[in-house]
Amino acid sequence: MQAIRVENLSKTFRVKRKEKGMRGSIKAFIHPRIEEIQAVNGVSFSVEEGEMLAFIGPNGAGKSTTIKMLTGILYPDGGRVEVMGIDPTKKRRQLAYEIGTVFGQKEQLWTHLTPYDNFRFFGAIYDLSEEETEARIGELAERFGLAAFIDTPVRNLSLGQRIRCEIVASLIHKPKVLFLDEPTIGLDPVVKENVRELIRQMNREEHTTIFLTSHDVGDIEKLCRRIIIVNAGQIVQDDSVEHLVSHYLDKSPANMQAQDRACAVKTGNGEAQARTLEEIIVDIYKSKEDS
Amino acid sequence: MEKRMESSALTDDRSRRRRAAGCMPWRKYAVIYKSVLLESLQYAANMVMGFFSYFIFIFIFVKLWGYIYQTPGELIAGYTKEQMIWYVMMTEMIWFGSNAASVAGEVSGSIRGGNIAYLMNRPYHYTLYVLTKYTGEWSVRLPMYMMFAVVIGTVMVGPLPRFPLAAVPGMALCVVLGLTINAVFKICISLLSFWIEDATPFQWLYDKLLLVVGTMFPVEIFPIALQPLFKLTPIYTVCYGPAKLIVDFSSKKCVEILAAQAVYLAAGGALMLLIYKKGVKKLYVNGG
Repeated sequence: MQAIRVENLSKTFRVKRKEKGMRGSIKAFIHPRIEEIQAVNGVSFSVEEGEMLAFIGPNGAGKSTTIKMLTGILYPDGGRVEVMGIDPTKKRRQLAYEIGTVFGQKEQLWTHLTPYDNFRFFGAIYDLSEEETEARIGELAERFGLAAFIDTPVRNLSLGQRIRCEIVASLIHKPKVLFLDEPTIGLDPVVKENVRELIRQMNREEHTTIFLTSHDVGDIEKLCRRIIIVNAGQIVQDDSVEHLVSHYLDKSPANMQAQDRACAVKTGNGEAQARTLEEIIVDIYKSKEDS
Repeated sequence: MEKRMESSALTDDRSRRRRAAGCMPWRKYAVIYKSVLLESLQYAANMVMGFFSYFIFIFIFVKLWGYIYQTPGELIAGYTKEQMIWYVMMTEMIWFGSNAASVAGEVSGSIRGGNIAYLMNRPYHYTLYVLTKYTGEWSVRLPMYMMFAVVIGTVMVGPLPRFPLAAVPGMALCVVLGLTINAVFKICISLLSFWIEDATPFQWLYDKLLLVVGTMFPVEIFPIALQPLFKLTPIYTVCYGPAKLIVDFSSKKCVEILAAQAVYLAAGGALMLLIYKKGVKKLYVNGG
């Protein structure tokens, strides 16, 4: 079954433009100049249930706008979206029961409450009974290793502990699709690896579909098999990570150095692989900008 | 096959939960209320500074009305000196005790800054979430201000004459409904941020109208020609009505105010839901 289906999705923002200085301000006040920016332009893709997909692109490419349309926060100007068979524009609250969201740069937890109180809060919000909530907290606290700080106010937690709690809060209602927007931003390498392992575990054990956006190539390589690259609101690449590396390098035979690094991918040298994929992604971003 | 069965069980589980939620949709709002209460209790000590401002304010009004009322038992606009001072103390208690930041600046700020995106993707109604949060906040502040007001009122002007203790539940209901109506109108103004860049000037106008007419001075102080007009505005249901009821209670007045509050709450609530429904389609979130 397809967890996410997107057809020809579009979103335009109207942005005010103003010339420099006081004169520009007065001019903009009398005759405001509005420009339309096409944030998402005819995007189509689908994600299978249980798949882990990386949805990446440079800043301003339209990733977050797409996530916000998939979660029902923004209304598309055109096209169709279905998440778990639900149209987010029509049944946002019904969809909320099926999805979980983690925004690495935003706190969703109540900072003055403890993680335990937060989880109970989210359990009630998602209509779980007291018993269901307790059982789920126990299960996730053990899996995510929260025992040492589950009764400490969130404001006193380290970033790594807080992110683990954010993920648990978003999983409390057993969502079928988990949207992760830069979940490892600002974390040290050990905690990053820990968080990635937990996400992998959720996918494996609960068959949760993972929709990930991240600028960290490590997240993409270690979690996702498939990658969608967007730039200027359009999909420029939709491929498996493995195929992307080999295919893209095949098209650049002149770059012998890169070919050598591609060999490192095949021999399983993790560090070399990370650099290679990162460079490939940068090349794809740049080639789109040039075109 | 096994996975499909598992998936179907989960969907059934979710449907069951949604059905259960349909039976008691208030439960999640009760939990929001409780969480805000827990959080607000941690800031209870911060209210001391507020008490200080409240005391200064009341002190000025006690002196002002003491100067204006020259003879004992004199009536101004139908109020004795004690009633007039208690009126101001009650309206100011409502004003200070219901700090409306969560229904004003926070809502318009989160619309402008995009934070609303992280609050509205939950299975609750955003406006009811804000209203519940606000209720949780004043549930801690208002009783504390009430106790403070009763103490300084009794010390500075003496107890309110002929105060009917049996009518306290009716008065409390009017105050609570008044606060809720005020919050609903403030949320409506904040939601204008979906269309305009800054709703603060509208909030300012509304607040000042409420503060000058109805809070600092009762409606009867103003010209007779304007009084019916004021009684048609939220002033009557938010501050003037409940405070007037406390200083000069009558069952007839209580029923009148409650009826007006019911109409205002129904109309204001419908307006709030409509503005949100239309406005949310206009949401523009900065940075994606």
